[in-house]
Amino acid sequence: MDQSADIALRMVGITKRFPGVLANNNIMLEVRVGEVHGLLGENGAGKTTLMNVLYGLHQPDSGRIYIRGKEVRITSPRVAVDLGIGMVHQHFMLADNLSALENVILGIPPKRPPLLDLDSARARFKELANEYGLGLDPSTPVWQLPVGDRQWLEILKLLFRDARVLILDEPTSVLAPSQAARLFKSIRRLADKSRSIVFISHKLREMKEVADRVTVLRDGHVVGTVDPGETSPTELAQMMVGRNVFLDRRPRPPSESKQAVLVVDGLSCQDDRGVPALRDLSLTVHAGEIVGVAGVGGNGQRELAECIAGLRRPTEGTIRINEKLITGVTRDPSLLGYIPEDRRKTGLVADFTVEENLIIKTFDNPPFTRRGILQWSEIGDRAKTLIQDYDIRTPTPAIPLRHLSGGNQQRVVIARELNAKPALLVASQPTRGLDVASVEAVHNILLQERNRGAAVLFISTELPEVLTVSDRILVFFRGEIMGELNAETADVNLIGEMMLGHRERTKQAV
Amino acid sequence: MKERRTIELPGLEGLVLSGARPILAVILALVVSAGLIWAAGANPIEAYAALLEGSFGSVAALANTGVRAAPLLLGGFAVGLGFKAGLWNIGGEGQIYLGATVATAVGLIPLPVPAWVHLLLAVMAGFAGGLLWALVPAYLRAYRGVNEVCTTLMLNYVAGYFVSWLLHEPSPLAEKGAFFPMSPPILPSARLPILVKGTSLHAGLILAVVLGVVLHFLLRYTPFGFRTRMVGENPEAARYAGVGVARQIFLVLLVCGGLGGLAGAGEVLGLKLRLFDFFAGGVGYEGLALAMLANGNPLGMIVAGVFFGSLKAGAGKMQIVTGIEASMALVIQALTVLFVIAIGFGERVRLTRQQKKKSRAEEGVASGHELHQ
Repeated sequence: MDQSADIALRMVGITKRFPGVLANNNIMLEVRVGEVHGLLGENGAGKTTLMNVLYGLHQPDSGRIYIRGKEVRITSPRVAVDLGIGMVHQHFMLADNLSALENVILGIPPKRPPLLDLDSARARFKELANEYGLGLDPSTPVWQLPVGDRQWLEILKLLFRDARVLILDEPTSVLAPSQAARLFKSIRRLADKSRSIVFISHKLREMKEVADRVTVLRDGHVVGTVDPGETSPTELAQMMVGRNVFLDRRPRPPSESKQAVLVVDGLSCQDDRGVPALRDLSLTVHAGEIVGVAGVGGNGQRELAECIAGLRRPTEGTIRINEKLITGVTRDPSLLGYIPEDRRKTGLVADFTVEENLIIKTFDNPPFTRRGILQWSEIGDRAKTLIQDYDIRTPTPAIPLRHLSGGNQQRVVIARELNAKPALLVASQPTRGLDVASVEAVHNILLQERNRGAAVLFISTELPEVLTVSDRILVFFRGEIMGELNAETADVNLIGEMMLGHRERTKQAV
Repeated sequence: MKERRTIELPGLEGLVLSGARPILAVILALVVSAGLIWAAGANPIEAYAALLEGSFGSVAALANTGVRAAPLLLGGFAVGLGFKAGLWNIGGEGQIYLGATVATAVGLIPLPVPAWVHLLLAVMAGFAGGLLWALVPAYLRAYRGVNEVCTTLMLNYVAGYFVSWLLHEPSPLAEKGAFFPMSPPILPSARLPILVKGTSLHAGLILAVVLGVVLHFLLRYTPFGFRTRMVGENPEAARYAGVGVARQIFLVLLVCGGLGGLAGAGEVLGLKLRLFDFFAGGVGYEGLALAMLANGNPLGMIVAGVFFGSLKAGAGKMQIVTGIEASMALVIQALTVLFVIAIGFGERVRLTRQQKKKSRAEEGVASGHELHQ
C-alpha cells in the first residue's frame, strides 16, 4: 500500500442510494498527489454522483473520505473548499458582468471588510497567469472572454483558493481541439506542482493523452483502475459498456418496405453555444424500421432531433420527410411526430390542462376551432378518447398537467404526437425519467408504430434499450456517425468503442 | 400565521387558491390600513364606514365609483393581457396620453357624419393612438429581445411631455389664450353619453366592462388567446408547437397599447371633455396594480377595478368625516398589491420545493432503470 502522504484523496466504500436507485455502490477511489486521475463512464454510471459527494453536494449513505490521510466529513461545498477541493462544473459558474479578477475573488472573505483586497488580488492573479502561461487580463469583463479563457478563469478561481484536488467535469466538451491541447499541457503542469486532478470524461483519446491512471465506473460501481498507457482502447471500452447486456430483443415481423421517409443529407448545425454540433451528417430512415441512435449524450443527438423538428436552423444540408423539404416547424401531424428530449420544458405546458396539452399543435384546426372559435366540447371529446386509447391516468381532462406523474405526462406527449399516425416518428430520450412499466409501454408503442409502417428515429443514451428496440443502429460521436450496425448482430463492445470515437476497427468490422 | 394556514388548505389547490389569494390580500391590506388609520388618530371603523358610504352609499356615490373604475379597468386590461403572454406593459400611462390625444384630435374635427359614427371614430382613434405608442417597444421586444419594461416605462415620460408640448400654443391642439394648457372642448357629437342624469357616470364604464368580457372570451375561446396563453406559460413549448412566438408577442403588446389608449380616450371623451396637461396622474400605474391583484384575469379585474374605484371614490368622504388624507386609498391599494405578491411568492416557493422533490424522485427512477438492466 502506498504511503498515506502520497495519497491526496481516498474515498472508501462510498454508497449513495436515491429512491429506488443505487447510484454509487461501494466505490473506492484513490488519487495520488501530483496525479491526473481519469474518471471514465457512461451517462448515469455514477461519476457525477461520486463527485457531488466529494464536493459536499450529496451526503453518502455509507463510506469514508480521507484527505491527505485524515478522515473528513464534507457536509457542504464550503467545507470542501476549505479542505482544498475545487470543482469546475461543465457549465461555468461565472458572473458575466464582473471582471475576471472580481470573479476570482467572489466569495473569498476580504482581510479588511468591507473593503476588497483588489490590489493584492490583482498581483496574485497576474502571478498565477504568468506561471501557467495565460494571457488573461484581470480587468476584462467575463462576457467578453472566449470560452477557453472562461474555463481558465474557473481553474484560476480554484488555484486562488489553493485547491489541492481539482475536479474537472468534462472540461473539453466546450473546447476546440487546439484549446484542449493547451488545457492538457496546463493540467500536466498543475500536476507537476503536486496538485491532484480528477478528470471526468468519456473520451478515450483524452484519457490516454492526459491521465496517469483511469478509474472506470459502470452502473454505479468501480470496474477497475488501470494505466491508460498499458490498456488498449478496446479493453477500456469493454470495461465501460461491457455489461452482460440483456439481449432481450423484441420480436418483430420483417419489414420489406424500402421507401425512404426521412432523408438527411449533408447536415451541419451548431449547438446553443455556437459550437458545431453536427458535421456533414447524412442518414436515411425507411418506412417500417426503427433506427436507433446510440452515443454518449451531447454528441449531436439533440441537435439532430431539433433540426428535423424544424426548431434549429441547419448551417448546411437538407432534411426531407416524404420528399417534403423541412424549413421550419412542421405543423402537419400526419407527417412528423416528435417526442422531445425535455418534455417538461419543450413538449408540454405544465400549467395548461391535460386537454389543452393534447391539442397544442392542432388547436387552430377544425374540429377544435370553427369560425375562429375554440370548440371546447370537441377538445374535451378528443381528450377523453386519447386518455382512454393511451391509458393516461388523470382524474379529469381539465386538470393542470403538472399534477400528473412523469409517465402520464409522457403519455400525453405520445398521444398527441402519434394519434395522427405520422409517417416519421422522432423520439428523443422518450424513456428518460420513467418507471419500469412506463418504459416498457413506450418501447411497445415504438414497435407498434414501426409495424404500422412508420419510420422511427429512436435516440437514446441508454445503450441497452437502443439494442433491444432498434432494427438498425447508428453510433454518434461529436456530431458524426462513427458506424452503422445491424442491431440483430451488433457487438456491444464495438458500439462502445464507436461511442468513444474510435473508428479504425469499425472500418474493418463493417 | 393565519395567512399560511389558508394557503395550505390540503387538496384545494388551484382554482380555490387563485380566487382566495386576492381576497385574502384585500383583507390583510384593510387590517394593516386600519392600524395606520388608528395610528393617525382616527377610528378605523368610522373611517371604513365613511369610505363605504362614499363609494356605495348613494346613487351619486355609486356613479363616482363607476367613473373612477372605468379608466382603471381599461388601464388594467392593458397590463393584464400582457401578463397572459408573459409581458410587462408598464407603458399604460404613456398609452393613455397618446390615446387621449389622438381621440381628442378626432373629437375636435367637425365631421359630416352622424354623432355615433363620430364617437366611434374618436374611440377607435384612441385605440390607434395607444397602439402606435406601443409599436416601438413591441417591435424591440419581439424581434430584438429588448426588455419591454424599460422601453414602455421610459416612453411614459416622453409621452407626458410630448402631449404637454402639444397643448401649448402655437400647437393646433391648444386652446387659444387658456390659463392652463388644455385643448378646446370635445365636440358634443364625439362625447360618450352620460348613463345616469345628474352624475358624471359615462359610457366608458360600459365600454370597459364589455371589453373585459370580450377579453375573457378572446383568451379562452379563440386561437389567438390560446397562442397568447401558451407563449406566456411556456414560450419554448409554443415554439415547438409551431407558434410564431415573436409575432404573437408583437401583436399582444400592440393590443395592450391599444387598450391603454382606450383608457385615455374614455377619460377625455366621457369625463374631462378636454385634453388637459398631465391629466392621467398615474392611472396607468394603478392599472398595473389592478392587473397584479387579479393576475391578469379579465373578469377578476372587473371585480378588482370596482374595488379600487370604490377606494378612490370613498376616500373623499373619509377625509371629510375623519380627517384622514384621501391618499389613504392609494396606501390600501399598494398594500393589497404587496400582499398579493407576498402570498404569490410564498406559494411559488412551496411549489418549487414540491417540484424539486418530484423531479428528484423521478431522476432516481431514471437511473434505476438502467441499473436494474
